[in-house]
Amino acid sequence: MAWAEQIVQGLKDAGVSLAAYVPDGVTWRVLRLMEQDPFFHMIPTTREEEAVGIISGAYAAGQRGAVFMQSSGFGNTVNALATLNIPYRIPFVWFIGMRGGPGEFNLAQVPGARAIPGILDALGLQYFHLTREDELDRTLSGVIALTYAGRLPVANLLSTLMTGGRDAPR
Amino acid sequence: MLRVDAIRAVLDRVGGAPIVSNLGGTTFHLHNLDDRDANLYMWGAMGLTSSVGLGIALAAPDRKIVVMDGDGSLLMNLGSLGTIARQSPANLVHIVWDNHQWAGTGGQPTHTAVVTDLAAVARGSGIPKVAAVSTLEALEEAFDQAMREDGPWCIIADVEGSDNPDRPDVSIEENLQRFRRTFDRPAAR
Repeated sequence: MAWAEQIVQGLKDAGVSLAAYVPDGVTWRVLRLMEQDPFFHMIPTTREEEAVGIISGAYAAGQRGAVFMQSSGFGNTVNALATLNIPYRIPFVWFIGMRGGPGEFNLAQVPGARAIPGILDALGLQYFHLTREDELDRTLSGVIALTYAGRLPVANLLSTLMTGGRDAPR
Repeated sequence: MLRVDAIRAVLDRVGGAPIVSNLGGTTFHLHNLDDRDANLYMWGAMGLTSSVGLGIALAAPDRKIVVMDGDGSLLMNLGSLGTIARQSPANLVHIVWDNHQWAGTGGQPTHTAVVTDLAAVARGSGIPKVAAVSTLEALEEAFDQAMREDGPWCIIADVEGSDNPDRPDVSIEENLQRFRRTFDRPAAR
């Protein structure tokens, strides 16, 4: 299976049926499959922090959810992570479509993406770089298990080395 | 109308419905008036009270969910109104205690003290049921209707600014786990 289909299957296997997102070209390759699949309830949002708040609320009512965003919007989530997810111990399955790495053409995409590991380290949150399609299903099932066992969000950073970036053939 | 009296009026009518409260005075009042298992207190996450409430409403569509928001918080996340309208959860009752100030930081006037009409913003965002109330009687009537009829509802309640509740001692993690146990969904750890 291609990486996008593997993510859809991984979410189904883990019972993650709710997904909130701000779209981007990379994660849309997953989201468009989910939008057409009645297993999922999809929630487009106006801002990344809002998506985190909605999925956190769903967890408070006992339902698992995922959040999708581009690396450029990661910074918008820090208040929610620091004042909601970490103190309350609220996990969610987290996908970040990475810009600012191999293949990037836009200088404005680079600093925010480069800062993500440092900010997550400072917050004490774990993250994994997903770079290989042939290892994805095993990595993903492990990260989802870790997310709920640790009761904290764990970031899956979708590398252009795996996705081909925004200009990859769709 | 004092915010504390307004919160008491909602508590008298809410039954067992879950309540999510905005950080600061609303959380303090709600806890001090009635520390119910079905209360989820925000201590931070400014702006996200309505988003958290939307997530609960989507996850538990068979129960009415009450959000007690504030004007300063909602002004930080106006996009939430459009997202609620687009999802259109019939079970969401979003109340905004509009005291026209950032009360927790010294009473500085918010935009609603000067120019912004949150009921108009809610309507313009596509919320189908919007009520603006400024008396206890009107609040009680609007809230009873919202608990009876499908929404989503947004009730903008004009309240007086000056009330200074005592700060309660709450364990945040325990509050979340207690709240989660009021839902019949053991699957998600």
